[in-house]
Amino acid sequence: MAGDVEETAARRGAGSAIATWAFAAPVLAILLWTVVYPNVSVITGSFQGGLANWRAFIASPADREALWSTLVVAVGSVIAATAIGVPLAFLLSRTEFRGRRTLAAVATLPAALPPLVGVVAFLFLYGESGVVTRVVQKLLHLDHAPWSLTGIKAIIFVHAYTMYVYVFLFVAAGLERYDTSLDEAAAGLGAGPLRRLRRVTLPMLMPAIAGAMLLVFMSALGSFSAPYVFGGGIRVLSTQIVASKLNGAIGLAYVETTVLAVSAVAALALLRWMERRRGYTVSGKGQLTLRRAPRSRLVRALLPPVAVLLVVVLILPHAMVVLVSFARDGAWTTQILPPEYTLDNFRSLATDPQLWTPIRNSILMALVATAANVIVCVVAAYLVVLRRFRGRRLLELLLVIPWAIPATAIAIGLASTFDRNDPATLRLLLVGTFWILPLAYFIRGVPLVASAVEGSLRQMDPSTEEAARGLGASWLLTLRRVILPAARPGLVAGAMLAAVTAVGEFVASVVLYTHANRPISVEILAQLRGFAFGTAAAYSVLLILLVLGITLLARMGEGRRDAESTSINA
Amino acid sequence: MIRLRSSLVAVMLFALASCAKSDGRTVLTVYSPHGKELLSWAESEFEKANPTIDVQWVDMGAQEVLDRLRAERANPQADVWFGATAEIFDRAAKESLLVAYAPTWKNAVDSAARDPRDRWYGTYLTPEVIAWNTQAIDSASAPRDWDDVLDPKWKGRVVIRDPVASGSMRAIFGAQILRSIRETGKPDAGYEWLRRLDANTKEYVLNPTILYQKLGRQEGAITLYNMPDIATLTQRVGIPVAYAFPKSGTPLLVDGIAIVRGTKHEAEARKYYEFVTTKQAMIEAARKFIRIPARTDIPHDSLPREVARALDEIKPMPMDRAMLAAHLDEWMTYWDSNIRNRGKTK
Repeated sequence: MAGDVEETAARRGAGSAIATWAFAAPVLAILLWTVVYPNVSVITGSFQGGLANWRAFIASPADREALWSTLVVAVGSVIAATAIGVPLAFLLSRTEFRGRRTLAAVATLPAALPPLVGVVAFLFLYGESGVVTRVVQKLLHLDHAPWSLTGIKAIIFVHAYTMYVYVFLFVAAGLERYDTSLDEAAAGLGAGPLRRLRRVTLPMLMPAIAGAMLLVFMSALGSFSAPYVFGGGIRVLSTQIVASKLNGAIGLAYVETTVLAVSAVAALALLRWMERRRGYTVSGKGQLTLRRAPRSRLVRALLPPVAVLLVVVLILPHAMVVLVSFARDGAWTTQILPPEYTLDNFRSLATDPQLWTPIRNSILMALVATAANVIVCVVAAYLVVLRRFRGRRLLELLLVIPWAIPATAIAIGLASTFDRNDPATLRLLLVGTFWILPLAYFIRGVPLVASAVEGSLRQMDPSTEEAARGLGASWLLTLRRVILPAARPGLVAGAMLAAVTAVGEFVASVVLYTHANRPISVEILAQLRGFAFGTAAAYSVLLILLVLGITLLARMGEGRRDAESTSINA
Repeated sequence: MIRLRSSLVAVMLFALASCAKSDGRTVLTVYSPHGKELLSWAESEFEKANPTIDVQWVDMGAQEVLDRLRAERANPQADVWFGATAEIFDRAAKESLLVAYAPTWKNAVDSAARDPRDRWYGTYLTPEVIAWNTQAIDSASAPRDWDDVLDPKWKGRVVIRDPVASGSMRAIFGAQILRSIRETGKPDAGYEWLRRLDANTKEYVLNPTILYQKLGRQEGAITLYNMPDIATLTQRVGIPVAYAFPKSGTPLLVDGIAIVRGTKHEAEARKYYEFVTTKQAMIEAARKFIRIPARTDIPHDSLPREVARALDEIKPMPMDRAMLAAHLDEWMTYWDSNIRNRGKTK
């Protein structure tokens, strides 16, 4: 396949090079300006006053501790998320058992829990006075809580829940494309199940697993909400950055941001390097994987109850948010469950004349950012997959870099770059305006949409485009009738992910929001600050519904595509 | 399909345009930590009196306001800064982020509750108190003074804000060190006090909401925090918490108001400044939001009982502001690396 692409590209010759650059130049310019430039200003900012800031960073025990805890949290989260995500993916795509469909339906639920909301839900469930904690305490007749949800272990616990979804999704997708004939061949050659797993299945899935691990690593590295709520004395870089900034040590904040971003980029580079050395590709179109009931009767008997337990654990945080949204604030003290229920929280939302403003802002900003993502990323993915030109490598890198840069770092970069109108240095005044948040969301959405579209385009036969052009179709027609339909599955999925992320975004928002673009997450934070847990939960319920709405919309988009493609194929 | 989608885009852009557009009124931007309720109330009252001005507030912590103003120095977005402690305002003034304005009531505040060069003036007083959950601790045996909190019987029952992130805690810690310097000439006794507090402390909580939750649900029984927040908590949420003004005296923080340097609406900013600090507004804020007025010309009997009681009972601890400005950061750093979590021998 890859050889084909090189060949057609070579055949294309110099004539289309100008056309390619007509697309590539603006895309590269946009990405350099929005993704690279702000981060470069952070890095140069860290060297303001020579090496003084770096010396301060190295000399500070707090910062050394923060760096160490950040790495421990990131590695711990990767291990925990992989330990949950990989077996679950195998279980759901290889085994048939009662309750499988329900479990499969809720397995990705944690991804639909907005960051701040999720962390607070965990506090209500597993915190020292949480529901689960008190139930366990009562069952075991303990006079104190059986555990405390603080420190590194609490952060990793929350990350495991929210981030295993990445591993699960990547591995499940890998298993779907996976050619089972390889397994059968190995079995025919006499390899036992464990040996097959170790020598055939896992190596074939390695790219998927490694990609997911990297994603977890980078998300955990930059995670802010969990350390912010559960940190209780431990420091990580993302909270340290905010603390330094608040204390007026902006130079130090730049250094911490740089260190954080560099660790993430290093992990990315390491993965790329390993990928290139291994050079495995999952070939074949994939077959319908058959799910089998497990052979052992014990396992068969155990699976359904385990599935039920998992479903409950997965639904609990959402259920908790809904429960708290109906609980009367302050009445819940030492009881296991809130003793009094009320509609007041929703009533106070409904009577708030400002209720819809944050919701409208978030939807609008998510729409703008996602629309920009779609335009830029379709063009970029098209260039990366179907064109050969100098700068393609750079473009590829620019598309993944925002993944590696934590939201706090993105926010600080934007705040320090777009704080004035200065055409000479390509600066535009965006701080304090509506547009700063859509820009931040756009940057965060780039890798999500781009990688999804790239994936879809790689599955398309590159000669189709050739053929269309050869038959005299204009590039616009080719785009509409050939490229876009091919890109569509990934485009819908990627755009959905980007929109969901944008609508609940908290970390960058809280640094950059203004009156004109106050988003939902900031409103929830404001409610929490005003001790209104119930109203905050009611608001969170609205946000969760919004996220579900977007997901359904995307499903509908995918469904229509399926109908169309079958009709074409028929 | 394409047509439908482009009309959707058109609708979106229209919505965007209508959202960004203001309605012809002058926009006055207020940065403030005072919270949604107080800010909405001030906004609607002010707009009623000044129909040509559109107040837009952005709520965030006082430290965050300072950080924003620094970031926006090249192009200030805010006009009024409503709410921060003297410590933070002094810093902002030193970084020349504020412009001077002497309000009409400038003679009605103590000299300690204002900037000598008029860059900020005190609006509310914030006393620090000792608070406890009344269901967990019988009020008769509750600690009534700072040293009572150190009693070993409270070991593991004290929950306080993380002092690095909390103005209130910084003030309380600073006050103990200042007391030590006053009495012995050295900070050592103050550090020893903090060490014993650390031994009794179960957890340092990073944000107030979690603190209230832990206090309300008896994860901790005692806390040290500011009176207006504690009183609002009991009043609004009904968490069973009582508080006492420490007998030996308490740090009394001054919360103030200022006009941001570089504002393009100075006249409107002054109007708002005056509006939220009239006698009437002070009394309303005391009634509705338990804010203790800094103005000294308000008769106590016009204030709600809790606020009047506070004004009568508080014994301000002497706070050397210059000394604090010079050394507090260094004391906090020492605490952070040498005292935090050292007392917990579990």
